[in-house]
Amino acid sequence: MSKGFTEDFEQSYDYNYEDYASHTGDPSLDEYNRQHFKMPESVKNFLVYFRNNVNEGLIFELQALYEHTWPKLTEDYFEKRPWPEESEVATIVDSDPVFMILYKELYFRHIYARIQGGPSLEQRFNSFYNYCDLFNYILSAEEPVPLELPDLWLWELIDEFVYQFQSFAQYRSRLQNKKEQELETLNSNNKVWNVLCVLNVLHSLVDKSNIKQQLEVYASGGDPDSVSGEFGSHSLYKMLGYFSLVGLLRLHSLLGDYYQAIKLQVLENIEVHKKSQYAHIPACQISTSYYVGFAYMMMRRYSDAIRTFSSILLYIQRTKQLFASKTYQHDQINKQTDQMYHLLAICLVLHPQCIDESIQQTLREKSYHEKMYKMQYGDLQEFENSFVYACPKFLSPYPPPIDSLPGDYSKEAIQHQTQVFMEEVAQQKMLPTIRSYLKLYTTLPLSKLATFMAQNSRTSEASNRDLDKEMQSLVIHLLCFKHKMKNVVWSKGASGLEGKFQSGSELDFYIDNDMIHIADTKVAHRYGDFFIRKILKFEDLNRKLHQLKL
Amino acid sequence: MAEGMKQTVASMLKGIERYNPDNLPTLERYVEVQSRENSYDLEANLAVLKLYQFNPLSFNVEVTCQILLKALTNLPHTDFILCKCLLYDKQLAQEPINQIVYLADILEQCDFQLFWTRIRTLPDLTQSITGFVDSIRKFVCHVVGITYQTIERTHLAQLLGDVDDNTLKIWVKKYGWKEMAENLIFIANQDENIKTKNINEKIDFENVGAIMASCR
Repeated sequence: MSKGFTEDFEQSYDYNYEDYASHTGDPSLDEYNRQHFKMPESVKNFLVYFRNNVNEGLIFELQALYEHTWPKLTEDYFEKRPWPEESEVATIVDSDPVFMILYKELYFRHIYARIQGGPSLEQRFNSFYNYCDLFNYILSAEEPVPLELPDLWLWELIDEFVYQFQSFAQYRSRLQNKKEQELETLNSNNKVWNVLCVLNVLHSLVDKSNIKQQLEVYASGGDPDSVSGEFGSHSLYKMLGYFSLVGLLRLHSLLGDYYQAIKLQVLENIEVHKKSQYAHIPACQISTSYYVGFAYMMMRRYSDAIRTFSSILLYIQRTKQLFASKTYQHDQINKQTDQMYHLLAICLVLHPQCIDESIQQTLREKSYHEKMYKMQYGDLQEFENSFVYACPKFLSPYPPPIDSLPGDYSKEAIQHQTQVFMEEVAQQKMLPTIRSYLKLYTTLPLSKLATFMAQNSRTSEASNRDLDKEMQSLVIHLLCFKHKMKNVVWSKGASGLEGKFQSGSELDFYIDNDMIHIADTKVAHRYGDFFIRKILKFEDLNRKLHQLKL
Repeated sequence: MAEGMKQTVASMLKGIERYNPDNLPTLERYVEVQSRENSYDLEANLAVLKLYQFNPLSFNVEVTCQILLKALTNLPHTDFILCKCLLYDKQLAQEPINQIVYLADILEQCDFQLFWTRIRTLPDLTQSITGFVDSIRKFVCHVVGITYQTIERTHLAQLLGDVDDNTLKIWVKKYGWKEMAENLIFIANQDENIKTKNINEKIDFENVGAIMASCR
């Protein structure tokens, strides 16, 4: 259940897979461990109670069991060991098939998250088969299945499904340290965690629920139930459909397909400030904004990326206290928040523009400020470091060819996306320097700026300069400046791909024959907000003082 | 023909169908139709690259080249980047894909003179793409249109690929630009759009209403 942990531990547990395998390797010892651990009475009672609630569809009770009791029991008894095996649990719950699938989903999720050494190959396979059972049950039914689960659970279920695919793809592409037999098993089971299968599940859930149509109707002010169909009006199908859209967004992004990633989203729904019936799982909102913002950044739609990031970061700033109590969500959210500040910093260096004051405040903190400063001065390494830290963990959809030499292929996809991004940055290399000169003037002759630029790049030998050549290369940079700063910006409509060309950056200019005319954005100090906050604080204090009884 | 195919292809791109390798031959043919008839369908072309990503053995250099060149004809849109993100490093390094990547790089940097010099040495590369050169000129005109208020006539001719006087006149007319005295061409009144903005704080009544009410 703790995605924050899994992300962080993933590297270490997969590398050290052989050393830290949870099984001792000695069958008799494993058997001893299993028998040695007797299921506590409280766990038994919990499982029976849990199952009854699932069958009766008591959604509020299930929510409490899922969000509080399960993590609590995990902490008490299963901090470092797996939950009881399938066979043990089956006897307690009369082998209830649906409950067993749900139990196993939680069981494997816990192994991925908490067990040192991570899942074994067999566990990865079994978890996949369990997901197949679950989705078959839900998708192949002739009428909606009588199952209701809390939204948070459904979100974490879909998110985990994509995560386990990601984890498998990474594991699969590390050919070093893999034994012959392990490779053979992998090669002969290439349908397991196959990308098409994962895509198929997510697409089927989207189609079954008519969620896209529902969202479009909802966005235009209509009643989503009018298009939901038999399945889509059920909360289970509707929410699984919605979360699958986010799952697809993540999956497409991991594969570098930004067009599909954005195309699938109905943009009105990621505008977090709007209250929406779908937008009440913070982790889902944050994840959506992260991937949408990232895709926009790669498409050089900086204004859209900046808007997406600032709006979610503002939301996180304002609701921080709400997450603080649930630690396992908190870690994940903290990590993704930090990544988004990095991405926002990159976007603002490439495309300076005004943003909300409180977000600006955070970016002024030392760690971000220093990075932005370096990037502004053309430090390509800093761009790359920030990008690699903040980007999704890209995957290649298929394992390395069977005859590949042993080695680590898991980094290839991330290297490729980094390279594409760095090529874009390199193309824009001269823009910050030009911007810094233009900021000082309202009009500036081309020849004068050419001289400045030349001084910047030339050593002291001033004798053999060639003004014509310098002018020529300056004009190229200026054209490039205008081209790169004019990008598609979304304004309205359901599709996030739409938009119009706009120049959203704070500094702009035009050339009239041989004179540059510069337009800057000047922002006056803001006092209102400051005073309002102080007044409110004072009022509050005053009220409290009045309440004091002496 | 392209119009007719559009419908067939659209049904191949819906949901999970998009990943069906059986559609590849039709989609590849559609790429060729686009090249020949000077039409464009980014989504279909990305689906081809996606199928290559999923089935590396089907990778076809020629079709990929056409897709990449077609992406260049749609500048200033960032289609080329979207295509690049779906290809592997090794594929991008192959001849003549690497040539196209280089062309894209200099176009993105707006080094148009270098681009025209380069393209003259590669006559075969873009031959199969109908209207390629004019599409690039459109992109040049877009950049000129957003950058200049007036531009020197000779400079504009250079940017368009050293075009002769007649061709230059055609492009100037097409964009509604005007020839002026002293070898200058008037592009647009940029000073109407590009001006210094002052953002001052505006506090409206709604924002302070609650506070005023509580201060009674």
